[in-house]
Amino acid sequence: MTGSAQTAHLRPPTEPEVLAEITGMLAVVLDEYGLDEAEVTMDARFTEDLGLESIDLVTLAGQLQERWGDRINFAEFLAAMELDEIIGLTVGRLVEHVVARLQPAERG
Amino acid sequence: MAFVELDGLRFHVQRLGPTDGRPPAATAVLLHGLLTDSLASYYFTLAPALAAAGVEVLMYDQRGHGRSGRPPSGYRLERFVEDAVGLLDRLTGDGPVHLVGNSFGGTVAFGLALRRPSRIAGILAIESEPASAGWATKLDGILRRAETELSDETTLAWVTARRGAHTARLARAAGRLLDTTTVARDIPASLLPAEAQLRTVRCPVLAVYGSESDLADQATWLEELLPDCRSTFVPGQEHSVLIEAPDTVLGLTLAWLRRHGAALRGPGARAGRDLVEEGLR
Repeated sequence: MTGSAQTAHLRPPTEPEVLAEITGMLAVVLDEYGLDEAEVTMDARFTEDLGLESIDLVTLAGQLQERWGDRINFAEFLAAMELDEIIGLTVGRLVEHVVARLQPAERG
Repeated sequence: MAFVELDGLRFHVQRLGPTDGRPPAATAVLLHGLLTDSLASYYFTLAPALAAAGVEVLMYDQRGHGRSGRPPSGYRLERFVEDAVGLLDRLTGDGPVHLVGNSFGGTVAFGLALRRPSRIAGILAIESEPASAGWATKLDGILRRAETELSDETTLAWVTARRGAHTARLARAAGRLLDTTTVARDIPASLLPAEAQLRTVRCPVLAVYGSESDLADQATWLEELLPDCRSTFVPGQEHSVLIEAPDTVLGLTLAWLRRHGAALRGPGARAGRDLVEEGLR
């Protein structure tokens, strides 16, 4: 691993960085239907605006885990929500969740 | 994402296991329903909590559904059961396995219990029933209606208005399955087990119904047919109990697993106690 990559790992990612990564994942998930990347904003809803089906969210969960490991448990994150909340879930809420989970653990 | 190939067909499989690194307290295979369903219905409801309670959870997309392969034909019930047998043999050890089946997934679960009786520790059948002549006739009606309605833009617009864009999207995807495969013709033509065969399903069965569902009327018939079957009714619910009342179904599932010997841990070790007292007595 190069020095700069290590530095990038030491610093938790910012919201715009996580948004960019999740946008890339969505492009893969929605490959066969196509995705207008301009549509992926913090306010965009996964199902209503971006057209994801629930099974697409399972694929996204796998990608999140592949990228960030067990710290991001999307299944548990969603299982804690009501169905209406899942359907209304925005990209921004996932981005904020990821950023929060990737903060270094508090020492004390 | 994991894929397993069986007889040339690709199956999308998801496993969630205990997160505490200890050996699983039980193994559960979760089977989803027909047309608009996929393993996602479990992945975001029962599965994470079961895993946290120490259960090894195995889910897969049935043929034609979710991310699994979609052959143009081959959708009789016995093919779905054969898939379940193949995946059970390939992906689980020799120990007992609990089955959870939602709607058509429960029908597959009863078929699997007939094929691998020594492996199945119990069946939790949500809004479901074993295959019978009555089942085949009913499914024929449902599938014929779905074929017309799910390709009709007026109906889809109505679904969007009444149930939201996500349900409409699922309906549209189901319409594609009906349009591009023989599923609607195949299901009613399935091989049906005789009642005498079904009576040999000796594992304990918990049948969960929505109290407002048409299927609830069959509870007595199923209890009399099977050697060890009890029923419980979720108040105010219709057919979509799993999606509309996931917490209740989770409590019932945890209580059911505990009752049948699984030493669950974490919050799942106690959840659903009241449900046991009310419904599982």
